[in-house]
Amino acid sequence: MLVDLATDHSEWQAFAFSSMASGFVGLALIWANHTANEQGLRTRQAFLVTVTGWLLAAIFGALPFYFGSLHLSPVDALFETISGITTTGSTVISGLDQTPRSILLWRALLQWLGGIGVIITSVALLPVLRIGGMQLFRMESSDKTDKVKARISQVTASIFLIYALFTLLLTIALALAGMTPLESVCHAMSSLSTGGFSTSDQSLGHFSDAAQWICVLGMVAGGITFTQFITPWKRKRWSILDDSQTRWYLSILAGFSLLMAFWNWAMRDLDVYDAVHQSIFNVTSIITTTGFHTADYDAWGGFAQVAFFVMTFIGGCTGSTAGGIKIFRYEVLFAVTGVHIRRLLHPHGIFVIDFNQLRLSDAIGRSVLGFMMLYFFCFVLLALALTVIGLDVTTALSGAASALANVGPGLGHQIGPGANYADLPDEAKCLLAFGMFVGRLELATVLILFSKNFWQE
Amino acid sequence: MFDLRPVLFGTGLVLAVLALAMGLPTLVDFVHGDADWRVFAASAAVTLFVGLALMAANYVARRDELSTRQIFLLTAAGWLAACFAAALPFAFSGLHVSGVDALFEATSGVTTTGATILRNVDHAPPGILLWRALLQWLGGMGFLVMTVAVLPVLNIGGMQIFRLDNGDLGDRVMPRAATVTMSIMGLYAGLTGTLTLLLWAAGMSRFPALLHAMSTISCGGFSTSAGSIGSWHNPAIDWVMLLGMLLGGAPFIIYMQIAEQRWQIARRNRQLRLYLIYFLIASLILALWLILEQDLKPLPALRHAAFTAASVMTGSGFATLDWGRWTGLPVAILFFLTFVGGCAGSTSGGIKIFRFQILYANARGQMNRLLHPHAVILPHYDKKPIPDTVVESVLGFLFIYALSFAVVAMGLGMVGLDFWTSLSAAASALANLGPGLTPSISPLTGFAALPDAAKILLALAMLFGRLEMFIFLALFAKGFWKK
Repeated sequence: MLVDLATDHSEWQAFAFSSMASGFVGLALIWANHTANEQGLRTRQAFLVTVTGWLLAAIFGALPFYFGSLHLSPVDALFETISGITTTGSTVISGLDQTPRSILLWRALLQWLGGIGVIITSVALLPVLRIGGMQLFRMESSDKTDKVKARISQVTASIFLIYALFTLLLTIALALAGMTPLESVCHAMSSLSTGGFSTSDQSLGHFSDAAQWICVLGMVAGGITFTQFITPWKRKRWSILDDSQTRWYLSILAGFSLLMAFWNWAMRDLDVYDAVHQSIFNVTSIITTTGFHTADYDAWGGFAQVAFFVMTFIGGCTGSTAGGIKIFRYEVLFAVTGVHIRRLLHPHGIFVIDFNQLRLSDAIGRSVLGFMMLYFFCFVLLALALTVIGLDVTTALSGAASALANVGPGLGHQIGPGANYADLPDEAKCLLAFGMFVGRLELATVLILFSKNFWQE
Repeated sequence: MFDLRPVLFGTGLVLAVLALAMGLPTLVDFVHGDADWRVFAASAAVTLFVGLALMAANYVARRDELSTRQIFLLTAAGWLAACFAAALPFAFSGLHVSGVDALFEATSGVTTTGATILRNVDHAPPGILLWRALLQWLGGMGFLVMTVAVLPVLNIGGMQIFRLDNGDLGDRVMPRAATVTMSIMGLYAGLTGTLTLLLWAAGMSRFPALLHAMSTISCGGFSTSAGSIGSWHNPAIDWVMLLGMLLGGAPFIIYMQIAEQRWQIARRNRQLRLYLIYFLIASLILALWLILEQDLKPLPALRHAAFTAASVMTGSGFATLDWGRWTGLPVAILFFLTFVGGCAGSTSGGIKIFRFQILYANARGQMNRLLHPHAVILPHYDKKPIPDTVVESVLGFLFIYALSFAVVAMGLGMVGLDFWTSLSAAASALANLGPGLTPSISPLTGFAALPDAAKILLALAMLFGRLEMFIFLALFAKGFWKK
C-alpha cells in the first residue's frame, strides 16, 4: 500500500480497503472467541485451525487482486492468491512487466508469508499430528534428535529470524547483481519461499546471469530443512551436511542437473557453460518446487520433458518451504525396500533401518506408505478431473502434478514455462487451486476433515 | 557360491519344453507347404540340443529341495533363456527381421505383452502366427505357475498372503502346490479350448480362433490381423474376446473353487469384486465418451468401451477401435488403468488389484490413527490382519514399480521418443500391456518404427515387470552370490 502511495498509483485504495476488511474480520474473530485460560489445542482443533487458517488467509489475500486495477474475476483472484500463499507460483496475470508495482509486491509478499507459514506448520504442527511420517521430526523427543531448542515457540522465533535474515541477504545480493530494489525484494522473497512469482513474464530469463545464480542459491536454501540453519553456531562445526536428508537433496539436485546438462550439451548443441547454467537453474527450480524458469524447457525435447515431469514428484526437504513428496519419504521408501530385498534372501533375518541415527519404526513406514498412496490417488483424481473439463492429457497430468507439489509451471503449450494459466477454464482453475491447497497441507490435514469420524463427538 | 547345477538343469528343462513346442509350428508350416518349416525344425533342434545338454550335464541323482537363492536364479534364468530361444525362429524366418526385432517380438510374446514389430501380420506364414500365439500361451502358463507356486514362497510384493500351505489363509485350497499347479494348468487348457469353440461359433475360422483363444486367456494380445480384432467387424467375436480377457485377468483359484462347486467362497472373493467394479466404471465412462464425442450408438459404444477397458486393464492389448489415437479423458483413464492391472494369481500384469486393497486398508488405518493416536488399529485384508511384512513388501513393490517407470520413461526420452510416447510406452511395457496411447505406438501401428535402443529398453522393462521386479533385483542384492 505504501509503495502505491509513494508511486502515485490509484491502487492504494484497493489495498487500504482490503487491509481494513481483513483487519476487522480478524480482530472480530479473535475477540469473539477469546477464552481466558488458553489450553493446549486438541488434535482435532489443531487440524481444523490449520486448514481454516490457510483458507481464510487465501480468501482475504485475494481481495487486493479483486478490487485492484487488474480487475481479475473472483476465480482468478482466488487462484492467484492460493497459488501465492501455497508458494506454487502459477499465475493468471500476463504483462507482469507493466503491472502496478504494489501488486507485484503483494504477490511476492504472499509467497513470503506462505513460505514462513508452511515452515512453521511443518515444524510445529505436522509432527504432532503425525502426518505422513512427520512424527520422525517431533521435537519432544529432544533426546533423540539433535538438541534443537526444546520449545516450539523459541524454534519458531529463530526460524523467523533466519528467514528474514536470508531474505535480506538475498535482496542485497540481487540488488548488487543489477536488479532494481523492488525487483530484488520480490525475487528474494519468492525464491527463498520457493514460490516462483516473478516480476517479468520471462521470469528470470529477463535478468542477468549473476542474478540467476543468486536465485539458485536462494532456492536451494529454501529447500533445506530450516531447523538445520538454527544450530550451526551452537555446534562446533558446520554440520548441515551431516543431515542425511540434505545430502540426498543436494545429490539429487546435482544428479539431475548433470543429466540435463549432458542432454543439453549433446542434443541441443549448447556450449558447456550455457548447458550447465540452464540445467542447474531450471532443475533446481523444479525440484525445489519454485517454478522460475530461464528458458522454455518444454521445448528441450522428450528426455527433458519426462525428466521435468518426474522431478515434480520429488520435492525438497521436510521443514522447508518446498512442496512435493519430500526427500525424507524417499529415504524411508528406499530403506524399507532395501530391507525388503535383503529379507527376500533371509526370510527370518532381523533388519533395522536408521534415519539420521534414529531407529525407524514400522509405524513410520506405514505412514509414509499411506501418504504416498494418498498423494498418487489425489494426483490421479485431479488429472482425471482436469481431462473431464477438456484439457489435453499432457496439460492435465503435468498440471495436476505441478499443483499438488506446489511447483507452478507444467508442460505443454498451455501451462508450460512462460505460458500462463489465464486461458484455462474456471473449473480447471478451481481444481488446481484445490490441489495446491491440499498439497501444501500434506493432504491428510485437509482430507481428514472429510472423514466421518472427525465430526463425531 | 551355492550349487548351480539344479538351476542349470531347470533352465535346460525350460529350453527342452520350448523346443518341443517349436515342433508344432514346424508341423503346421510343413503341411501348409511353407519354407519356414526348416527354420523351425533347425531352431527346435538347436534349442533341444542345448536344453538336453544342460540337463544331462547337470543331472544330479539325489533331488534336494531348492534353496531360496536357487529358486530366484532359476526363475530369472528360465525366463531369460526362453526369450532368447524363442527369438530364433523369428530371426531366421522368411520375415527378415533384425536380431533386435526378433528378440523384442519373442520377449513381448513370452511375457504376454503383445507389442509387435511385424508390419504385415495378415500375410505372415501360419507357422510364425502359431509360434507367436504359442509363446504367449506358454508364457501365460509359466506366469500362472510362478504366481501360484513361486512368488508366495519367495515373499515377493506381498504375494505371501496367497501362500497355499498356509491353510488358514488360503481357505482350504488343496494343500500342495504341485497339485494346485497341475489343476490350474488343466483349467488353463480347458478354458483355451472353450474359448476356441466359442470364437469359432461366433464366426472366426478354426485356425485364428485357436490362436486368439491362446493369446486371450494369457492376456497376451498378439492377433493374426494387423487391424487386431477390429478387422473382423463382428460383435459376437468382440464379446467372446472380452469374456476371454476378463477370464484371463481374474484369479485362477476361483475357477478351481467353481469346479469344486464351492460357490460361496468364490463369490466372496474381494479381489474379483473390486476388479469387476473398476472394469465397469471405466467401461461406462469410456462408453459415455464414445457416445458424446465420437457419435457412436449406445450399444456399439458400450461394446467398444468394455472391450478397450478390459484389454488395457488386463494387459492384453487387443483393439476393436484404434484407442491409441484417442485424446483427452479416455487417454488419461486408459493410462491409469495400465497401472492398475488385473488380479493377483492371473495371467495379467500391472500392479494388481490386491495391492490396491492392501494400500487402501493401510491408508484407512492411517487416517484413523491420526484422529486416535493411541488406538490399536490393524488393517485387514479378507478379514485377516495384514502382517507388517506384507505392507513392507507392497511398499517396496510400489516404490520399485514407480522408480522403474520413471527410469524407463526417461531412458526412452533419452533415445529420442517424445514425452507422451515415453510415458505410455514405459507404463505399457512394465504392465505387459503392449500397445501405447500415442499414434506412434498405437495398437494398429506397432513398434516397428522405434529406434533399436528403445526396443531393447522396452524388452527389458517387459521382462522386469513380468518377473515382478524383485526376482531380478534379488540377484543384485548384496550377499546373493556369496557363500
